[in-house]
Amino acid sequence: MQVTVRVERSTGTASYSVDTKAQQTVLDVLFYIQNELDETLSFRCSCRVGMCGSCGMVINGKEGLACRTGLDRLGPVVTLQPMRHQGRIKDLVVDMGDFFSKYEAVRPYLTPRPEVQDPIVASPRSKLREAIDLGLECISCGLCLSACDVMTAVPEFLGPAALNRAYNLIADVRDDARDRRLAVVGQARSGVWQCHTHMSCVEVCPKNIAPTRAIAQLKQKLIVRRFMGHRERPIPKLQYIVKEGG
Amino acid sequence: MSTQVATLESHTFDVLVIGSGGAGLRAAVQASVPGVSVGIIGKSLLGKAHTVMAEGGVAASFGNVDRWDGWETHFYDTMRSGHFINDYRIAEKFAHEATERVLELEEWGAVFDRTPDGKIMQRPFGAHSFRRLAHIGDRTGMELLRTLQYKAISQDIEIFQEVTVTKLLKDEAGRIAGALAYYRATGDFVLFRAKAVVLATGGWGKLYKVTSNSWESTGDGGALAYRAGAEMMDMEMVQFHPTGMVWPPGVRGLLVTEGVRGEGGLLYNSEGERFMLQYDPERKELSSRDVVARSIFKEVQAGRGTPHGGAWLDITHKGPEFIKRKLPGMYEQYLTLADVDITKEKFEVAPTCHYTMGGVRAEAETCATNIPGLFAAGEVACGLHGANRLGGNSLADLLVFGRRAGEGALAYARDVAEASSVNAQEIETEMARVMAPFSVSHGENPFEIHEELQDIMSAHAGIVRSGPDLEKGLAKLQALTDRATNMAVSGSRVYNPGWHAVFDVQSMLALAELIFRGALARQESRGAHWRTDYPDELPEMGQWNFVQSIDEGVQAVPVPQMPKELSRLFERGMAPGAWTKQQEGKEN
Repeated sequence: MQVTVRVERSTGTASYSVDTKAQQTVLDVLFYIQNELDETLSFRCSCRVGMCGSCGMVINGKEGLACRTGLDRLGPVVTLQPMRHQGRIKDLVVDMGDFFSKYEAVRPYLTPRPEVQDPIVASPRSKLREAIDLGLECISCGLCLSACDVMTAVPEFLGPAALNRAYNLIADVRDDARDRRLAVVGQARSGVWQCHTHMSCVEVCPKNIAPTRAIAQLKQKLIVRRFMGHRERPIPKLQYIVKEGG
Repeated sequence: MSTQVATLESHTFDVLVIGSGGAGLRAAVQASVPGVSVGIIGKSLLGKAHTVMAEGGVAASFGNVDRWDGWETHFYDTMRSGHFINDYRIAEKFAHEATERVLELEEWGAVFDRTPDGKIMQRPFGAHSFRRLAHIGDRTGMELLRTLQYKAISQDIEIFQEVTVTKLLKDEAGRIAGALAYYRATGDFVLFRAKAVVLATGGWGKLYKVTSNSWESTGDGGALAYRAGAEMMDMEMVQFHPTGMVWPPGVRGLLVTEGVRGEGGLLYNSEGERFMLQYDPERKELSSRDVVARSIFKEVQAGRGTPHGGAWLDITHKGPEFIKRKLPGMYEQYLTLADVDITKEKFEVAPTCHYTMGGVRAEAETCATNIPGLFAAGEVACGLHGANRLGGNSLADLLVFGRRAGEGALAYARDVAEASSVNAQEIETEMARVMAPFSVSHGENPFEIHEELQDIMSAHAGIVRSGPDLEKGLAKLQALTDRATNMAVSGSRVYNPGWHAVFDVQSMLALAELIFRGALARQESRGAHWRTDYPDELPEMGQWNFVQSIDEGVQAVPVPQMPKELSRLFERGMAPGAWTKQQEGKEN
């Protein structure tokens, strides 16, 4: 099949005609263009299997990973644009600095509660395990931030990925920084209240995460805190295991 | 000093870590203590390193599900599968410390899968005597990298993303002084000065056409170290993972985790025979990777391959619920990329280049190299895996030796008053070299050179080798290397992929030659290195590691001999834990 690939490059839109016999994905086509037609075409990629989250872009108007988007779904004309709401470095490569600093703003690392000395028991089907599992999937590709409508009006908005991570840690019974983190996500201009539940992030997430749900949970926690002070559900008592046992 | 060098952006650290994958992050976390400045450089964005692709798990002998396991058995398995050219001192430390390193990750936020009573779950893997791999579904590497990344962010470590290092700098006394690099985003040069440098840049799987490796694995660190005078060891040892995807062409080489066989997957040839019963009746599908890869290769050679030249892997008998829970990534990968539902049908697999056992020679205690102030950890380093790496040992490797390299670099940096001086003339010459491809007209295309290099390596230094074939390949490589001195790029310095590829290709060409020379020197078959003109493993060859350096060429260096208390572990001809288990069985 002959496909026309229109790439929105830094220098304007470039059009390439590609025979897609040997190519299955958008990433295959990009490699073909770079290796055979124009070695100056810039894009990011790393793992080729949707695990690293490097190759996010806007494909026929919708955010997706190039390595996981099959050509058969795209028709005879494929339009590729860089992700939105992020400064462009060149062609399809955007500046991820804003994405990372938003991530950093929510303190994305576990701050262990001081009484936790040893690894804890998290049995396979427990609530704790569920909370942890939610946090495992995100590959920080940035597609959700690109798709987020709020970003157009409010560039300071922390965005779905960072808020989702914040929620994972706030829901994690091992973490000790929930007050500080809730204060960050509750800020008027950049925090959760900006989210209007358009669900665009949910729609584009390659890992089927629902950041909107995490954001709704955060809103609820903030409301409870506002009206009931700190009388939230008590944190369940943890059960520790001895080191020798692993 | 010229104005070009005087106005260069410059950073000075006590410890500089090159490589932001698992080993690099673990080293940086270790070296970052109050009063010590640490910088870490990555060629890609943070969190994208090849470590994310490690799926199956991290090998650590907790003995949670098989209580007979212990460090002695992990040591035994590692040495035996490495065909005894590993450095026993490295393997011993490794087997001892892997469990601590895994538990430490849990303290930093990771939570491994659990047994019903809450202990860390362990899965079986090829050539491990017991169920040993701690895992998080089939995305263990991802979670490990993320945990280390968060830990690094929580500490005072300066992170440089998308930076390519082109040269390691030394002072007049031969000590490490820093590195010259450029930002990929702008093309601007940046100078790093440091008291100590940790090299954690990964391997060089991109030398081969069919590979599971991501684009970063171009061996930059290995080549940087070699050019700086480091000793490179056992370069002939390249691991071909038995199971890579075969079809469609765009996904060829992508990894099919050993976890599929660990969880019960079986291999069949086109005639429906379970051929591993014949090649290794004892360990069958879970034999070591070199054996399984060679067996598939032999079946295809004998005309019993699948339609696209591989073997069938079948796990349907385990049922959809089990497969989706235990191997969610694999299930999804085959469904979306190959349109195959592995819960319902068997699928094609074939060997793919997966790991480079050879690399920078480093010592066990601190991962120090022969260059004072330079340390190496992870896949770029050599010594732990010998002639064949066990699945799950690489994640444990980068944790154990990432930490040791960080500790070693920290101790070294504390002993040094200030960072060594760098030579302005040397920096100027290097900047001119790096810029040269922009002024070549009608030169070679770096992508084409890379493709031809992959063809040469796959044809002459792949899963099957012979003396005459290696000689032919080496001659072709040398001709290609000559052509590559004239690579040209167009466009600007801003995020220019062709320009980036020039340095990747230069690194790979340098290491390719070392692979050929190592493979020619090792006149036997051992582990991953299979020569048809020397089909047997020869005891006299097993006494040597082949060490190469830019000054000395290839040298045979004796493999360190184990002391009695370790060598006695091998006297029974079975793993220590397996023996204990057998004894218990007799008593009952």
